[in-house]
Amino acid sequence: MFDLSGKVALITGANGGIPRATAALFHRLGAHLVLTDLDAEALAAFAASLPAAGPRLVTARADVTSRVEVEEALALAGREFGGLDILVTGAGLYVEQEVASMTDEDWRRTLAVNLDGVFHACRAAFPLLRRGGAIVNIASMAGHRGSVRHAHYAACKAAVLAFTRSLVHELAPRGVRANCVSPGIIATPMTEAIMRENGAALIAATPMKRFGAPEEVASVIAFLASDAAAFITGETIHINGGLYMG
Amino acid sequence: MAATHAGRVAIVTGAGRGIGAAIAAELAARGVRVAALEADPALAAAAGAILCDVADRAAVDAACARVEQELGPVDILVNNAGISPKHEGRAAPVQEMDPAEWDRVLAVNLTGAWNLIRRLAPGMVARRWGRIINLSSVAGRAFTPIVGCHYAATKAALIGLTRHLAGELGPHGITVNAIAPGRIATPMVAAAGGPANAAVVAATPLGRLGTPEEVARAVCFLTGPDATFVTGQTLDVAGGWMMT
Repeated sequence: MFDLSGKVALITGANGGIPRATAALFHRLGAHLVLTDLDAEALAAFAASLPAAGPRLVTARADVTSRVEVEEALALAGREFGGLDILVTGAGLYVEQEVASMTDEDWRRTLAVNLDGVFHACRAAFPLLRRGGAIVNIASMAGHRGSVRHAHYAACKAAVLAFTRSLVHELAPRGVRANCVSPGIIATPMTEAIMRENGAALIAATPMKRFGAPEEVASVIAFLASDAAAFITGETIHINGGLYMG
Repeated sequence: MAATHAGRVAIVTGAGRGIGAAIAAELAARGVRVAALEADPALAAAAGAILCDVADRAAVDAACARVEQELGPVDILVNNAGISPKHEGRAAPVQEMDPAEWDRVLAVNLTGAWNLIRRLAPGMVARRWGRIINLSSVAGRAFTPIVGCHYAATKAALIGLTRHLAGELGPHGITVNAIAPGRIATPMVAAAGGPANAAVVAATPLGRLGTPEEVARAVCFLTGPDATFVTGQTLDVAGGWMMT
């Protein structure tokens, strides 16, 4: 457990499985939250499910493919809380498609969410991030070993790893760190289809013989966001039960 | 400090000073009953550690039996003991390396870790819970001019050992991970001082050496309730000097 009390965290795609668990954990650890998602109604319902007592929380609709909407969301963090300590880029799009039948539009749509979205949020966070702050980008096992019928998704996640390592050098002089988590098969709505179709084989190939839970990713994100990881930057922590040990 | 690891028993090797001592202290602060092992008699006496050269299999077996008797079954093993021989402040290049020195470094850094794992893994398997941490080094992942080839080879080997054992022991509820520290400001490193440390700092995005406590916090993370689905991994604690 880590102490995030008084810190301000912004999470994009906050209605997703892993981001929800991250928001709930951050809230418990005392962080003030700015939560954004494409689906404002579902996000508001999720936010209402968090305990009313405790740190402050605001929500905003933001499509991460839109520079303007992301900048507005970051500006909200500035207005409400006077700055930012933690950014978690949780927004993701995971569409099953083979390259041969992938249209230009399919390709660009996936890149817009999974890569442009990370760029938009990180760039807009620069002026707000305070000394001691941290960015945690959610990459994926797909970014390391590829992903069957998800070439566009895997390409984005690999790009996020290199983007993050590059960001390290620009953030370090400001006293800010940047790291990634790479989840494997985590039981969320996003992975329902692969768990259904290929679950037994995936579990057989996983030393820990099970899927992960979103909370098991959230706790690693909290570690990287906290002062406990003060000398860790540019790093990727895999959360996959041993399925991939690159 | 929250007692996140309450009720656990740990062995930390090479715990008489430096990183090992910090790991032992940080685990203890989280509620772990910690047994420190140390090969140097003076350091062991000063730290209240059990005298044990991890390269000596009989001594390892005896130390583990004593810990089990005094503290109970061992849940957490931190293989930290290691040596990095220097001659007038510099590691021997391969063409000058004494074969006995090569053998000794492998015996302590690699076989020493295996000796502890061999002795303690069966109990962890039987109880279906265990956490094993091997202290590797960025020297096991990239060329560093400060250490010798024996040290680098053992630190890379510990990463392979970590991955393999994560695969073998995962089904039994045991996670196995490694930590690869960069240059850490222990008293020994601070004494080395000078150009060697300055060059590392210059190549480190965070612009400083790490502290033993920062390595210790990574050990606590990987052995505690926040890393339950992390296994077979090597975590760099290097301020960005190494990024994997």
